Amino acid sequence: MPQTKKEIVKVEDLHKRYGKEEVLKGISMEVDEGEVVILVGPSGTGKSTLLRCINQLTRPDSGKVWVNGIELTDPKTDIDKARQHIGMVFQDFNLFNHLTALDNVMLGLTQVLKMEKEAARNKAMEELDRVGLCNKFMNYPGQLSGGQKQRVAIARSLAMEPIVMLFDEPTSALDPELIGEVLVVMKDLAMAGMTMICVTHEIGFARDVSTRIVFMEHGDIVEQGSPSKMLNNPDLPRTKQFLGKISDLH
Amino acid sequence: MEELRVLVPYILRGLSVTLEVTGVALSIGLFFGAILAILRVYGGDLLSRILTVYTSVLRALPHILLLLVIYFLIARIVNLSPFWAGSLSLGIISSAYQAEIIRGAILAVPRGQMMAARSIGMPTIKAIWHVILPQAFRHAIPPWSNEAAIVIKDSSLVYVLGVPEILRQAQYYSAREYQPFLAYVTVAVIYFLLTFTTNRGLDALEKRIRIPGF
Repeated sequence: MPQTKKEIVKVEDLHKRYGKEEVLKGISMEVDEGEVVILVGPSGTGKSTLLRCINQLTRPDSGKVWVNGIELTDPKTDIDKARQHIGMVFQDFNLFNHLTALDNVMLGLTQVLKMEKEAARNKAMEELDRVGLCNKFMNYPGQLSGGQKQRVAIARSLAMEPIVMLFDEPTSALDPELIGEVLVVMKDLAMAGMTMICVTHEIGFARDVSTRIVFMEHGDIVEQGSPSKMLNNPDLPRTKQFLGKISDLH
Repeated sequence: MEELRVLVPYILRGLSVTLEVTGVALSIGLFFGAILAILRVYGGDLLSRILTVYTSVLRALPHILLLLVIYFLIARIVNLSPFWAGSLSLGIISSAYQAEIIRGAILAVPRGQMMAARSIGMPTIKAIWHVILPQAFRHAIPPWSNEAAIVIKDSSLVYVLGVPEILRQAQYYSAREYQPFLAYVTVAVIYFLLTFTTNRGLDALEKRIRIPGF
């Protein structure tokens, strides 16, 4: 008997407009538990906007978003509570600049989840250990490399025990030689069964760990499918052209 | 020299008043300035526009004029001593300048800081308190140091209300002893020492709480 997968994220007919430009033109998609979905497409096609609409950092003009069965676009929903369990990792890290690595990870635990300081500290150290940075816990963001900053940012999200992780071009701001260490952490996470939605052009990562690649252009989903199909044998010539181009780069 | 032995203690009797007026005015200015700044940045369009009028008007008028207007306005409503009315007036004036200083400092904190805080489920107020303000206050120290020097000097304005701070004391002294030059130079030296040490102190504070590696 096939196991029915639990639906973690559902997006329905999402529209978003910035001035004259329609960034999202009615996007619908579902992401099941344990899926690793890669969003690719040319810049300015609404990938990041879609990601930010999922945790409502950007409010869509119309359409609905559910995460774990809760409708986030419902004005009655406590959005702060919902966001506690939606991890987000940003292109430019956005670590809290005035706090050490440890305090960056602890802040959400003590202030949002109301954990005791000692328990929060232990949990934060565990998460830093998971991304290989427990020896850097006293460093401020300014004293970490880009790759280390991003790993702390991942630890900060993981500490909140998210049910889904959103990655917004997590390696785009990194020097090429620092990309690997972040991808290793993301791979481990995917292997451990985390539900992930990643905007990235790291095709190697997509090939190795994703369950689905979604190709977006001009605010629409052009084509989606398994990585092997999308990378080797897509239905549309435009998909082949775009994915071929970024595959060549890697 | 003999004169100084009488003059200096006489003027120094006003020093605690000068310090108290300054301290009260700066504190009131900081408290309301911070609230004004936060509301201007996060309070939405309409509120922001109303508050811009407040800071623009207060910053456009001479402080001595504002002091008199606010003093007589307060005097119509409640019965406050000249000391409190004067300090409160200076605090209200300073709040307009401090609001601008803190607003600039808040805007200097990268936008991503707020986004990151909201993304882990922090409500806006908490994010402002734990993430934005600790960084903004660090940015604000150098311009705030400048404002502190201005308020120290403006504390002399309350002498028009008859509050016995150091300038008022010097005036009494020169009227009594016919030594205006010596009296006013002594006051000048005291103001210089006050502003100088305050600015140095704030410089030291800025260095002390600077974020490592930032």
